[in-house]
Amino acid sequence: MKLGLIGGLAMVSMTAVLAGPAFSFEGKSVAAADCNYGGKIKSIVATDEHTVAFSMCSPDPAFEAKAAFVSFGIEPSEHIEKNGPKKALLDNPIGTGPFKLDSWNRGDSIIMSRNDAYWGDKPSFKTLVFRWNQSGAGRLNELRAGTVDEIANLSPEDFDGVKNDPDLQFLPLESPNTLYLGMVNTVKPFDDVKVRQAIAMGIDRQRIVDNFYPEGSVVASHFTPCSMPNGCSGEEWYKFDAAAGKKLLAEAGYPNGFKTKIYYRDVFRTYLPEPSAVAVEFQTQLKQNLGIDAEVLPMESGEFISQANAGRLDGFYLLGWGADYPHITNFLDYHFAASNMQFGKPFAEIYNLLNKAGTIGDPKAAEPIYTEANNAIRALVPTVPIVHGASAFGARATLKNAALRPFGAPRLQDVDPGKDSLVFMQSAEPISLYCADETDGESLYACTPIVEALLDYAKDSGAIVPSLATSCEANSDSTVWTCHLREGVKFTDGSDFDANDVVVSWAAGIDATNAAHVGNTGSFDYFSSLWGGLMNVKK
Amino acid sequence: MTSLNNASAAAADAIAEEGLIGDPVPLWKQTWKRLLRKRSGQVGLIIIGLLLLIAITAPVIAPYDPNDVLIGTEHVKRREAPCVHLLGCDINRPQHIMGIDGNSRDTFSRVLYGTRVSLMIGLVTVTTALVSGVLLGAIAGFFGGIADNIIMRIMDVILGFPSLLLAIAIVAVLGPGIVNALLAISIVSMPAYARVTRASVLSVKTLDFVSATRALGGSPARILFRRVLPNALTPIVVLATLGIATAILDAAGLSFLGLGAQPPMPEWGTMLGTEKDQVFSAPHLVFFPGIAIMLTVLGFNLLGDGLRDALDPRLNT
Repeated sequence: MKLGLIGGLAMVSMTAVLAGPAFSFEGKSVAAADCNYGGKIKSIVATDEHTVAFSMCSPDPAFEAKAAFVSFGIEPSEHIEKNGPKKALLDNPIGTGPFKLDSWNRGDSIIMSRNDAYWGDKPSFKTLVFRWNQSGAGRLNELRAGTVDEIANLSPEDFDGVKNDPDLQFLPLESPNTLYLGMVNTVKPFDDVKVRQAIAMGIDRQRIVDNFYPEGSVVASHFTPCSMPNGCSGEEWYKFDAAAGKKLLAEAGYPNGFKTKIYYRDVFRTYLPEPSAVAVEFQTQLKQNLGIDAEVLPMESGEFISQANAGRLDGFYLLGWGADYPHITNFLDYHFAASNMQFGKPFAEIYNLLNKAGTIGDPKAAEPIYTEANNAIRALVPTVPIVHGASAFGARATLKNAALRPFGAPRLQDVDPGKDSLVFMQSAEPISLYCADETDGESLYACTPIVEALLDYAKDSGAIVPSLATSCEANSDSTVWTCHLREGVKFTDGSDFDANDVVVSWAAGIDATNAAHVGNTGSFDYFSSLWGGLMNVKK
Repeated sequence: MTSLNNASAAAADAIAEEGLIGDPVPLWKQTWKRLLRKRSGQVGLIIIGLLLLIAITAPVIAPYDPNDVLIGTEHVKRREAPCVHLLGCDINRPQHIMGIDGNSRDTFSRVLYGTRVSLMIGLVTVTTALVSGVLLGAIAGFFGGIADNIIMRIMDVILGFPSLLLAIAIVAVLGPGIVNALLAISIVSMPAYARVTRASVLSVKTLDFVSATRALGGSPARILFRRVLPNALTPIVVLATLGIATAILDAAGLSFLGLGAQPPMPEWGTMLGTEKDQVFSAPHLVFFPGIAIMLTVLGFNLLGDGLRDALDPRLNT
């Protein structure tokens, strides 16, 4: 790191001298000692006040799709350098977005006010309020009563009610997602591939989709939804066959099943609209089809995520994934990378293929490798993909432009509520507002109006559009991405946005030795998973 | 009282048992009669009798197994409203008089089996709390001194917490589950029994027949268990009957919060908890378990009230 930084600084000051600007710009940089750490990013350098160069260890075709993700949002460099090491960024986000944080009333609401100096289209309303309610019926009640203007995650049984209510509008959400039944391969009996395969065959997934999911949901034929390029290449998932599953389980030495647990969190997700009912359904099926006695155990959301991510749950767990950016790496690389412990010991048979495919820009050219990777997932069953769920939001009929985009959080700034404030109600309270180190949707939703990334997702497709960067270009072999930053942008604390803010914001996440690499849990999951690992990790 | 000159302990027994009451009709028979004369006692007894009958005959009267998922076996929708043929529901549709729950199970069967669970919860917790509380209270009241101080201060500490909160705390430490919930409720309801027993023992132990037994050389254990306790039990019986109601309510509360009975056990509180979000879209799923809890608690409360009236010496005229 030290060497890299000095090298970067030397190079930057040379550039600065050569360019000869009115005042000297000291560009910052962050770099890995070499590319042996296994990650994608070699260095990030502020080459001038409005240009940042990302040097990659290997070509990354999904660079733009990933860089648009809100976890890579940019905050002022001084703010991060001062407050990052003190763990003081969590409820104090400063961004360039259309709104700024006014107050976070813990357990109740988050109040944001319009950023009148916003560089883009200014929102039509002054105050944006985030509230939350775990109960789908509770959210709908508030929407019906008019105490909130838009709600996330309608319960499937309320779809028709909202569609038929003239006071409300139904907002379908076309975001690809997957519910999976997780297992940890370091815990007996899940260490045996036959047990995992038996479970893959012994669950009637069609019955779950038919009975617990809204119209439009489909049984998962692969881990990745078919709307993602290459997501569905390779063999389809096992057909439901309880007898074959039972036979495999007997071969593995468990003719009468075994005792285990099903962990889940009681939080609505598009991929899991009714957690407790679906958990009981799994319990019933495991008992009926395979003779497995599973106890159903709901956990607190944050605790559940951290235990699941660390691979510490000693049973099944119900977790899922919603697409963050339109590339298959978002599904496969996050879950099956060598750094991900959530299914126990990562499978080299899978991650070696993913590493290879991740360097190929053309989806057609990468198809054979992804086919192989999908087949390896099917054969090794690190987890059982269950369903790709359909979902929807609800809003008051008076809201204009309330449509949802397929990727990224809803762009609430585009909504025209016809009054001074907009109240948005989601399923849970954000864990923190420093989204570099958060993965849950509720936190990301609340960060989106405040903090912006270099790029953004389009309103109506998976296309990438400019945001804080007006453009990002790759060199001929896609190993260096150069992003040209928007000029004249100010943060809501009044400071100017420049290339150093980009470098420092990224460095806090990607560089394990950075003083500000503290975050909330310190794991910076999106940095490590989307970019193949954190740089400068001490062994 | 002619046998006073007989100095044997056996005779003293007879004095204590018959002399004090001064009535040839045994206390319990009297109480039973008086209880049957009270309206609240009658209604309480009828409700509890019915519940007992349901609990015993649940496998016979329940149309389905409580954990039977009807997906694939019957053409019913999840959370379908009740279908009662007598009330005009299509005869070709399967009858589910309390509807279908979120996992496609027959709610009626689950409510019936829930009676077993709830009565079991009430009886087990109250028995545990009663035995331990009475024992501790009796020791405290009878021996006094340090034993009294230590026991009663511990009880005061337990009473210092709101009972359900303390139960939640205990379950949080022990882990969720029906057994731990029973234990937690037993612990939090124990102090009431200890206090009442102690007070009762304190007043009974100063009575003449106790002094007489002591003078005749009865051992402390004999005096406590043969003389004092039987005569101090009246208020405890009332408290226990009312305590069953509280215990059932507390257990349902814990289960509602997901800390008590775990799915798929057909426990009323769990049934309420898992379907609480559907209170508007499928009200039958919270209505029937709620009514069941209400009836059971009402039954035990009425019986407790009736018993208190029946056992009240001031009404003994």
